[in-house]
Amino acid sequence: MSQRKIVVFAIAVMLSATPLFHGQNSQSNSSSELPAGAMQQKASDACLVCHDATIIVQQRLSKAAWVKEVDKMVKWGAAVDPQDHDPLVEYLSVNFGVDRPAYQPAYSAANKTKK
Amino acid sequence: MTSRRDFVKSLSGAAFLALAGRTGLRAAAADSNEIIPGKEGMIVRSRRFLDLETPVEFMSTWITPTPHFYVRNHMFEPANINAQKWSLSVGGEVEKPFTFTLADLSKMEQHEVVNTMECAGNGRSLQNPKVPGIQWGKGAVGNARFRGPRLRDVLQKAGVKTGGKHVMCRGLDVVPGNVPPFIRSIPIEKALDTDTLVALEMNGAPLTRNHGFPARVLAPGWVGAASCKWLTEVKVLDKEFEGNFMSPGYRFPNQPGKPGEPVKPEDTHPMTSLTVKSLIATPSDESNLKSRSTKIQGVAWAGDAEVKSVDVSTDGGTTWQAAQLGKEQARYAWRQWSYEWKPAKPGTHVICSRATDSQGRTQPQEAVWNPSGYLYNVIDRIQIHVAA
Repeated sequence: MSQRKIVVFAIAVMLSATPLFHGQNSQSNSSSELPAGAMQQKASDACLVCHDATIIVQQRLSKAAWVKEVDKMVKWGAAVDPQDHDPLVEYLSVNFGVDRPAYQPAYSAANKTKK
Repeated sequence: MTSRRDFVKSLSGAAFLALAGRTGLRAAAADSNEIIPGKEGMIVRSRRFLDLETPVEFMSTWITPTPHFYVRNHMFEPANINAQKWSLSVGGEVEKPFTFTLADLSKMEQHEVVNTMECAGNGRSLQNPKVPGIQWGKGAVGNARFRGPRLRDVLQKAGVKTGGKHVMCRGLDVVPGNVPPFIRSIPIEKALDTDTLVALEMNGAPLTRNHGFPARVLAPGWVGAASCKWLTEVKVLDKEFEGNFMSPGYRFPNQPGKPGEPVKPEDTHPMTSLTVKSLIATPSDESNLKSRSTKIQGVAWAGDAEVKSVDVSTDGGTTWQAAQLGKEQARYAWRQWSYEWKPAKPGTHVICSRATDSQGRTQPQEAVWNPSGYLYNVIDRIQIHVAA
């Protein structure tokens, strides 16, 4: 448990020490949120340290595929308590399973100034 | 002890924009006014890390303007790099390790290559069954002018030993957590090819940060992952680099397998050249048109090979007619193509484009499925609704 918190903290220190994600808009409000549910906060805590929710919400995967993805993310530093593993997989499978409607991405602003 | 939730709240607000509130999943297709510096009207596949896709409608020019060029990052772009202090080190299986400044590289003989760069995963969202990863549509591809010294000339300054087989390229990507760094290698033959660059410029201007400032590799005709951004080290190795993004990442099955079935790493090979592909740029999918002559336009490319022809079908692939290829061409650049179409009848028409290359390859009807969704190059299809 404490080792995982150290990993999460170290990542956060590194990220907060560097300028805002290097050119990405600090005022952006376009990141999708994770859906409500018992695992929403834990999923946010584990996953959104390293990347935004958009990477998650665009996926449409089977449960078996979500197991693989969660395991890969844990290996790469995502802090997931063992007892949360299966509920997290279930949460992701239900909300971003193969039968969910297709994700519709956002577009960035178009520059209306003619060059 | 601070709870996990309190700890998360204490971090940079910018880092946790996605955590605001508990209002549930936001409605789709929102937020079309977010300003991303240097980019215009791009499809946002991810904000952090930054992954931006080019709408196909922007593929109506031979050169893709930099504000419309797709961006692919596995990790965080590096913070402001001081060009005066930046350097490129060359070492490994070389006679004499060498370090270059940006000024050194700028003084070397410069070479320009017009290159169509495509993400290996372009089209991934179109694979069936679905696979994990950035769910690119059709637009992780663009064509740009890259300029800089030849990588061959850079390596020759250090003197490549005969034992050198691969060239590892390392960039200044900021790596989160325990994620393996994005390091790959290319075969020595590609590294020494006359058109492989240490690119300093893109479309006549210094590389932007999104595209690898101050220097990146340009491995023309190959998957974008072979063109390392924010280059800082080049190391000649006596074998292929061993790392996540050489294996299991960026590998393609030796033989087509059954969709949905896993593939053993030993049955794959590292990805190199792009394959033959075409896209319809205009009219847009699901457009409503009047029954009059319409120009169907698009682009076609073939990696290491050349595009020989593009055929268009206006009846869903039953019959095909030759499209006209555009005049502008360069070895690794896409060809524009066009076809004048006068719909014979109103209703819904399925328009298809199919490219054939100098190696005799042509786009397939069905994707060669693979677990990572790489190299999707199925015949492009759109639907057009013609009014009476």
